[in-house]
Amino acid sequence: MSVTTDPVRGRSGLPPARPEHPRAAGRRAAALWRERLMAGGFLLPAAILVAVVLLAPFCYTLYRSFFSDYTRSTFNDLANYGAFFTDPNLLRSLENTLMWVGGAILLPTGMGLLIAILTDSTRWSRAARLAVTIPYAISGSAVAVVWNFILTSDGAVNSALRGLGLGGLAGNWLLDWPGNTLVMIVASSWQATGVAVILFMVGLQGIPPETLEAAALDGAGPWARFRHIVLPQLRPVSIIVIGMSLVNGLKAFDLIFVLTQGGPGRATETLAVSMYQETFLFLRPGAGAAIAVLLTIIVLLASWTYLRRQLPTRGKV
Amino acid sequence: MSRVLRNCVVVLVALLWFVPTYLLLVNGLTSVHDYSGSPNWYPNSFGLFANLRAAWNTADLGPAMANSLYYSVVSSAGAVLLASLAAFAAAIMPVRRRALWFWLIYAGTLLPLQVFLRPLFLAYANTGLYDTQIGMVVIYIAIAIPFAFFVLRNFAVTLPSEVIEAARLDGASWWRLFWSIYVPLSKSAMAAAFVFQFVAVWNDLLFGITLATSRNIRPIMAALADLQGNYSNVGPPVVLAGALVVSLPTVIVFFLSQRFFVSSLKLNV
Repeated sequence: MSVTTDPVRGRSGLPPARPEHPRAAGRRAAALWRERLMAGGFLLPAAILVAVVLLAPFCYTLYRSFFSDYTRSTFNDLANYGAFFTDPNLLRSLENTLMWVGGAILLPTGMGLLIAILTDSTRWSRAARLAVTIPYAISGSAVAVVWNFILTSDGAVNSALRGLGLGGLAGNWLLDWPGNTLVMIVASSWQATGVAVILFMVGLQGIPPETLEAAALDGAGPWARFRHIVLPQLRPVSIIVIGMSLVNGLKAFDLIFVLTQGGPGRATETLAVSMYQETFLFLRPGAGAAIAVLLTIIVLLASWTYLRRQLPTRGKV
Repeated sequence: MSRVLRNCVVVLVALLWFVPTYLLLVNGLTSVHDYSGSPNWYPNSFGLFANLRAAWNTADLGPAMANSLYYSVVSSAGAVLLASLAAFAAAIMPVRRRALWFWLIYAGTLLPLQVFLRPLFLAYANTGLYDTQIGMVVIYIAIAIPFAFFVLRNFAVTLPSEVIEAARLDGASWWRLFWSIYVPLSKSAMAAAFVFQFVAVWNDLLFGITLATSRNIRPIMAALADLQGNYSNVGPPVVLAGALVVSLPTVIVFFLSQRFFVSSLKLNV
């Protein structure tokens, strides 16, 4: 009996090889039903939990985003969404989110690729790689604690600058926009580069050395080899790294919440932080819901456009 | 020449990267009494245990760590078990509308966590799950299932169908197939999924500050954020010592499991 291995359509539903006796056919159908029931039993616990705890709340948030924030909340169609174009705090938050996305993609990907290539193939540089990957194991909240220590006005950066006689360069790193958002992106990249390095190392080890040797024999210099052999071979890994960074940038929350709580004022809020503040601090659940829905749309659209353009096939599903 | 330049760049980058970690270590170890108000660049006293005691008392780091350990282990194990059952069914058993089941379970990873917060907060408040350990475990399991399902299903699809067919012809039940063939074969994928979820739950701040408030319920990152709020009261060394000890479990898990970690990432490429 042949079996289809297509992951989606699966192995069921094959017609019987030759006509069967009606009673046998009935038994077969009953057996198939029992199997499906059994499969449902395997699938349901996970599916129910996800549906009740994640999907139902999502639907409620979507619904809530169309209602106002007065005591008797009334349907006010798109007013919560319209607030984005009139509320300077939300516009700033949108702006910060875009900065986070740009920075979170460029810095970890660029630095990760650079470090992976520089430390590949030399034995002693494992130590260097370790220095870069340790921060990846530290949580966002702990990273915020460390960088607060570094960036506050009497923190490590300013003390180092003064010690070097460059006191004029010392500044209020966390107080002035847009500098405060930029230094937080640097802090986040300090942590996130580790995983990019690991992934690029995996990609580099997948390149057959014979290809590089052959290219070198043909007279290709280091730059040409990098440009025409290494970079194309790293494409699948780059897709993953950039995709992860894209989503991380869009969802930036922990670091900002612990480091500045979105302040001073609301200058460093991203959409993820604004949603929390509007809902739980300013008690405007409608506005918060609209931000959450907008964030969802941006995340889905960005992932979809990005993946659709990058993945050669339609993916695994 | 180019080799010298390359080595210089590597050393420089590594040093630059190590500075924050170094400052965390040195100043977390410094005793509060010897802390002058500006950061230390070299160790001059040892006060780690006194700092930890202070952090413990100010923000109840100890109970919070116990909570997080419980949440991380129980929720990750629960999620991996439920996800592997679902993955087994979705990839191997005869199921109708496979794609629908897949998306129903996988959809959870696509949505930003913010989208669940307030409805969950309200539902938890109404059902008495708010600020309880079981409530935290439920949300962490639900959050962890979609990704674990994705990893395990990708693995299940690669299992040779001949093995399953042969076992079915020998009259093995699906249940037996699951336990005697699928689980042993997918052990490393399950371990990888477990590690991922363990780290994710340990690092969670958002649900920790939204769905819990009591000191004996809230997870470690909520306690750390609280400690950071007391930054100038307790002194920077105490806060840094807290960040140090809070990071230890994930650092250890990460380096113990790096092999799993890398191979499971390969699986997804």
